[in-house]
Amino acid sequence: MTATVRAYYEDFIRTFSNVLFAVCLLLIWGLMTLVGVIVQQGKDPSDYFGMYAPPLARMILRLNIDNIYHSPYYVGMIGLILISLTVCTFKRVIPARLPALRPVKIDKIPLNAGVDVPGDEASVRAHVEQFFVKRGWQVRNREFDGTEWTFADKHNWARRGVLIAHIGFAIIAAGTTVYWAKGFSGDSAVLVGQTIDVPHHNATLRLNNFNFKIQPIMTKSGMVYQPIDYVSNVTVVGDDGLPKNETIRVNHPIDIGGTLFYQASYGFALKFLVTHDGTRSAALSDKTYFTGDSITLPGSQRQIQVMQFVPTVDRQTGQPSADPRINDPAVALAVAEGGQTAGAALVPMKTWIDVGDGWRVTPEQYVMVSGLQYRYDPGVPLVGIGAFVLLAGLVISFYFLPARLFVRVQSAPQGCTVGLAAMTVKGYDIFETQFGELVADLRKSLAPSAPASSLSPAEATT
Amino acid sequence: MQQHMPLDAVLMVIAIGAYVISALALLGYFFSREEWLKHLGIPLAIAGVAAQIAQLVARWEITHIWPLLNLYGSLSLFSVVSVGIFIYFAYRYKLWFAGGFVVGLAALFLAYATTWYEGAMPAVPSLQSYWAKIHVPLVVASYGAFMVAFVVSAMYLLKYYYEQRLATAPAPANLAMAGGGSSANLNTGEMRVRLDSPNIAAAAAAGNATAYWFNTMPSLAQLDILVYRVVAVGLPLLTLGIITGAMWAHEAWGAYWQWDPKETAALFSWIVYAIYMHLHTRSAWRGVRSTWISAVGFLTIMFCYFGVNLWISGLHSYKM
Repeated sequence: MTATVRAYYEDFIRTFSNVLFAVCLLLIWGLMTLVGVIVQQGKDPSDYFGMYAPPLARMILRLNIDNIYHSPYYVGMIGLILISLTVCTFKRVIPARLPALRPVKIDKIPLNAGVDVPGDEASVRAHVEQFFVKRGWQVRNREFDGTEWTFADKHNWARRGVLIAHIGFAIIAAGTTVYWAKGFSGDSAVLVGQTIDVPHHNATLRLNNFNFKIQPIMTKSGMVYQPIDYVSNVTVVGDDGLPKNETIRVNHPIDIGGTLFYQASYGFALKFLVTHDGTRSAALSDKTYFTGDSITLPGSQRQIQVMQFVPTVDRQTGQPSADPRINDPAVALAVAEGGQTAGAALVPMKTWIDVGDGWRVTPEQYVMVSGLQYRYDPGVPLVGIGAFVLLAGLVISFYFLPARLFVRVQSAPQGCTVGLAAMTVKGYDIFETQFGELVADLRKSLAPSAPASSLSPAEATT
Repeated sequence: MQQHMPLDAVLMVIAIGAYVISALALLGYFFSREEWLKHLGIPLAIAGVAAQIAQLVARWEITHIWPLLNLYGSLSLFSVVSVGIFIYFAYRYKLWFAGGFVVGLAALFLAYATTWYEGAMPAVPSLQSYWAKIHVPLVVASYGAFMVAFVVSAMYLLKYYYEQRLATAPAPANLAMAGGGSSANLNTGEMRVRLDSPNIAAAAAAGNATAYWFNTMPSLAQLDILVYRVVAVGLPLLTLGIITGAMWAHEAWGAYWQWDPKETAALFSWIVYAIYMHLHTRSAWRGVRSTWISAVGFLTIMFCYFGVNLWISGLHSYKM
């Protein structure tokens, strides 16, 4: 590695292992996420010009803000965070997992105390070690420059909490990548009686019938038509060729060879009787029309567009009712001539309208349409595992405080002095109370029969 | 014929009444430190929690509909969880001085909840899931924890900036004498107060009433640790809430993550609190800077809770 490359490498490591740099990346990620909350996503470009001033709408479209979560810079930002997380993990988190046992200047550490006790150095040290072992501290002794130090650790294992959280985040990222690489999703509007192929599988799905239940409820604000249930009864024929009846409901998807089918929406398709001078046009009458479809009359530029299926027409006003249940159904049709709308009408089922030149259109029948979503996502188990690993890491990091005590027993003119200092991974303040209690207990323990040690509890300075 | 109030409505009135009186008593305690006000406020806050829990149970029993599926129900849970978490922390860390603000906010949110009451509404299909009994309480509980963290953060910031103000103001000589150089710890009977606000201590000793009042609060370091401890409750709850929400979405909508405004707003809040936790590991950032982030974090929670529910339509638009 050349000196220049090495310098760049070291710069890279230094930058990406910096916690403040990671925080800056998180901040930018957060702000980009917030932008996506405020600016509606995935709308038609014309919608943005309707919602915002033209310069702002142009900016939204040019910067991909209308689809920010799938934009290169959003994905790139997550990539940078993952790099930072990886570098921080190897550079900071893993080395900090088990810090080396080193002597310290006890009185320079904010959490420190001194206890004078009678007795010889060896017996006092043994007593102190026993004191900490009994309280669940892991005790180790080391000698530095002829001075024996005792190190007591608590929740040392919890130093891995951040590492575990980082691993969890990385596993989630891996799981989502698996979906991008191997997964697929989509949606199908399936007519009652229609059979569709299951994508990427040798299987078919037939919609036998679709039912929905809507309940009118009188609230303080007026009548509300609350959807209660959407049910698709389907027959699935898989690899084995055997038909299997299944029910798809919201919250109850079905699994076809790993691809899940979900109840997403519902709608109506229509069949029309189209006649010209009293003769049925088979080409136009045999088709099924969805909302937005048009009937183009042969030999003219006239089009009949299906605007909307209206489940119930208000009998008093003759206008579409708010009631989405099917009582007096009708179809809103618009007539266009050469691309220009010439008129519109609400046509009740089984009644006809004359659209000129001997053409008549009769809404004959409505057909229920079930909107099904499908998704194959082999990354789900990984994402699930990653999420719980992340959670475990957070819980370990937040609720278990790894602390280290540095203990030095030194001979004094009238016995020994036990010097004690504490450090934690979360600073000193968080351990202040426990340290005070620990020192008080140690004092009591070291002077069980004696009147008291020469120092008062208040001398445990913090 | 006279129409009787249903039991759940009666319990709601009792809860709001208990919270309002409790908040007033605890606010009185905050300003006067009269112990009897604290002893009045605490049982009333507990009574409010009990009445609210009974109200939610009664509503469930009467309507047979899980009561947390609309803004009325979730705000009700938000209030009870906020006060519940506050009571736990107050007992554990002697946080009663902040009670007036937490219970007062809970009463406000509860009163606001009643404006969304529309009667018994059956759940829409996507909400008819056992996940409603898991995901909603977790997320709302995290909001409650963040509200408590916000109140403590606000107190930290008030005390911090008052200390800064005193530090920059020309101090009379007797103030400097009164507090300067003291390293003793004071004991207020609640939390040990450390002198990381020497100017406040000095002004308090000289008879400044405002400074005395600030001086009876825990030290800035202790307030900072309190904020950390409450956020440490809220963030895992929010994480678990997002995870369970993703599991529910996987069943209901076909993907565990839909980039729905509510999901992304929750992710934004999660990122803000993750930033808080990262910065709190740095001694230079602990204190006023990280506390500001905690305060901003709660604003993002409020945006996620109300802004997205009320102003931005999406898969989570369940107002009624």
